[in-house]
Amino acid sequence: MTTRPASSQLLIWIAITFLLFPVLILLGILMRSIQAGEISALQPWFYPAMTLHGVGMVGVWYVAAMACAADVLSRHVTLPPALGRLAIAGTVLGVVLLLACVLLGRFAAGWYFLYPLPLKGEWPLWSAVTFLLSLTVLGATWFIWSLGLLWAISRRFSLGQALGWHYLAGRTDPVLPPSVLITTVSLIAGVAALVSAVIVLALFYLELLTGQASDALLMKNLTFFFGHTLVNLAMYLGVAVAYEILPEYAGRPWKTNKIVVVSWNTVLLIVLVAYFHHLYMDFVQPGILQYIGQVASYASAIPAAVVTIFGALLLVYRSRMRWNLASLLFFLGLVGWAIGGVGAVIDSTISVNARLHNTLWVPAHFHTYMVAGLAFLVIGYFYHRCQEAAALRESKGYHQLLIVLMTAGAYGFFLMFYLAGAFSVPRRFAVYPVEIGHGASFAGWAALFATLFLVGFVLTATEVGRRWRAALSSAT
Amino acid sequence: MRGHCAALLAILALLPVLASSDAAPARSIDWREGVLTGRMVPDIALRTASGGAQRLSDLWRQGPVLVTFFYRRCAGICTPFLEWVRDALQATGGPGREYRVVALSFDEADTIAALQGQAAALGLRDAPGWTFAITGTEELAAITGAVDFWQRRNPTTGQYDHDALLVAIDGQGRVLRAVLGGPEASGRLRNLGAELRGTFVPFYRVAGGASWRCFAFDPATGRSRLDWGMLLLLLPALCAVTAALLLFSAGASREP
Repeated sequence: MTTRPASSQLLIWIAITFLLFPVLILLGILMRSIQAGEISALQPWFYPAMTLHGVGMVGVWYVAAMACAADVLSRHVTLPPALGRLAIAGTVLGVVLLLACVLLGRFAAGWYFLYPLPLKGEWPLWSAVTFLLSLTVLGATWFIWSLGLLWAISRRFSLGQALGWHYLAGRTDPVLPPSVLITTVSLIAGVAALVSAVIVLALFYLELLTGQASDALLMKNLTFFFGHTLVNLAMYLGVAVAYEILPEYAGRPWKTNKIVVVSWNTVLLIVLVAYFHHLYMDFVQPGILQYIGQVASYASAIPAAVVTIFGALLLVYRSRMRWNLASLLFFLGLVGWAIGGVGAVIDSTISVNARLHNTLWVPAHFHTYMVAGLAFLVIGYFYHRCQEAAALRESKGYHQLLIVLMTAGAYGFFLMFYLAGAFSVPRRFAVYPVEIGHGASFAGWAALFATLFLVGFVLTATEVGRRWRAALSSAT
Repeated sequence: MRGHCAALLAILALLPVLASSDAAPARSIDWREGVLTGRMVPDIALRTASGGAQRLSDLWRQGPVLVTFFYRRCAGICTPFLEWVRDALQATGGPGREYRVVALSFDEADTIAALQGQAAALGLRDAPGWTFAITGTEELAAITGAVDFWQRRNPTTGQYDHDALLVAIDGQGRVLRAVLGGPEASGRLRNLGAELRGTFVPFYRVAGGASWRCFAFDPATGRSRLDWGMLLLLLPALCAVTAALLLFSAGASREP
């Protein structure tokens, strides 16, 4: 195996991710333990923990996916080093502000921070302002980061080429790696999502400064335009990395073709309107938007998931696949994305959503694709790059054990959410009243499975960490 | 560059002014309505126009209760407001079946005969579901205090300055909604009556108004139409497309 030095910026992102992720898992275990009735003394911390856990997880995996995509992109285009440094500095500052508002101010409006809750809670006003400032810093940083990466792509490809339109005309020159196509689509949609965040924040600040209230329906639309789209794009960036790296293990190319181009260009349109499915419960939303939400949610599964999953299966089928920790995580990551995606499509069906929307089914499906999907893909890439740079001996049996620990822990944890959802256990309840006391049992088992996942992750992080240290000495 | 900064600062400085100019539109509703929701109303003793005695809780145990305040000698808004309430509730139907109405005098000079006179003047003497009542001094102070009903007696004229208030109370004695106001409140009074009959009312105006609304709602017709706020939902996609076009056209001098 030939070694390839890792970039120092990617190594910093690995350190940040592996530092924050276990802390955020512990907050998740804390929440499920409180719901199980095991540590009732910490009940007042449930909603602050939910806020930090939610915003933290979404933020961590978004930046980790962006870091992976940027690292893959650097194979094909030249990235300005200052851009990566700005992204790291801005993200760290935003995280510090977030920690301050939650840990010191007990800000607890949840990761949706739905209007007008941030301004109406029992927490001090300064903590709400600090939360908004944190989002402002993170949003501005990621906005510049996205524009910078698009700028780097534009130095080599025209917009039509970066979106693969020349493939539709039957031309294959210049060759467009699928990772560049998917990253371009994700970054353009990401700019739209971040502009939406800017509008939400501006309206929050307007109310703080002038007392002028905002329209709750408009704020919810904008918040989910931002939040839903950003989470989807994080997933797509992880998939872009899989398109680039999985062929190296399969020994076969995974090329751009007409189907891939059509599917990912369609994603660019669909991902911007799929978020309407978050507003099914909002009866004042015009009916036509609800139908668009359902159609877009179904449609988004076809080009992205089906084409990618089918392509991945064809890539692996009867290949001389080299299975190691990285390739297993990539494969399982795509499987997790598919399983979580099916849960999401089910939930996006209006008639089903009317039953499941306020139950634990919702956290079930998004935990599936965020943890067993995106997190597996990103951890796989981190291991891949560190191993590529360090070239340490790999213990196949031990790595398979780590995979089993993480997979069993993760899916056991998800199953408790799915079952609780099916049994009508509502979400966002810190304590279950006697009528839904069975929710406590599911929560207790979920805490145990999450602990199993945490053990598996810490051992995996140790494996990555050994290679990270070796990679650090040769980092570029 | 300096000119651009100055222009930007000027726009930022104007923002609060522009926003505040929109903060008090002509038909904005009183912010006090919002703060009353959820308040507990004291269970006071009532002496009714029929000469009977009952407690307010006797009524709210039978279903929601609408409470409004008046006094017989009022030369101002009392009688018109009671007429608006009467007309709105007649239009929607339901008094005496789905809910009850209590018109409570806040003038200690009012007697049972005065209550009967007021009910007769409004054509409500035998109307089902309507109760004209007086109460004791302390209990009057308790209920007017609980719902922030403001009144002040003018010693020269003997008349009162006061609010025109209708409060909906649920079966536990909690304020469901409140409507303050004059003739423009008629549509909202009708909505409240319809809501108490179990009709689903999807929209109603809230205190304080809102900037950049998705919909403009007309309470008189119950219809809504798209408003300017919806345009803000298109802005992110437009910005993204514009940014992509600008970036890629600027990057035209490409690397080999």
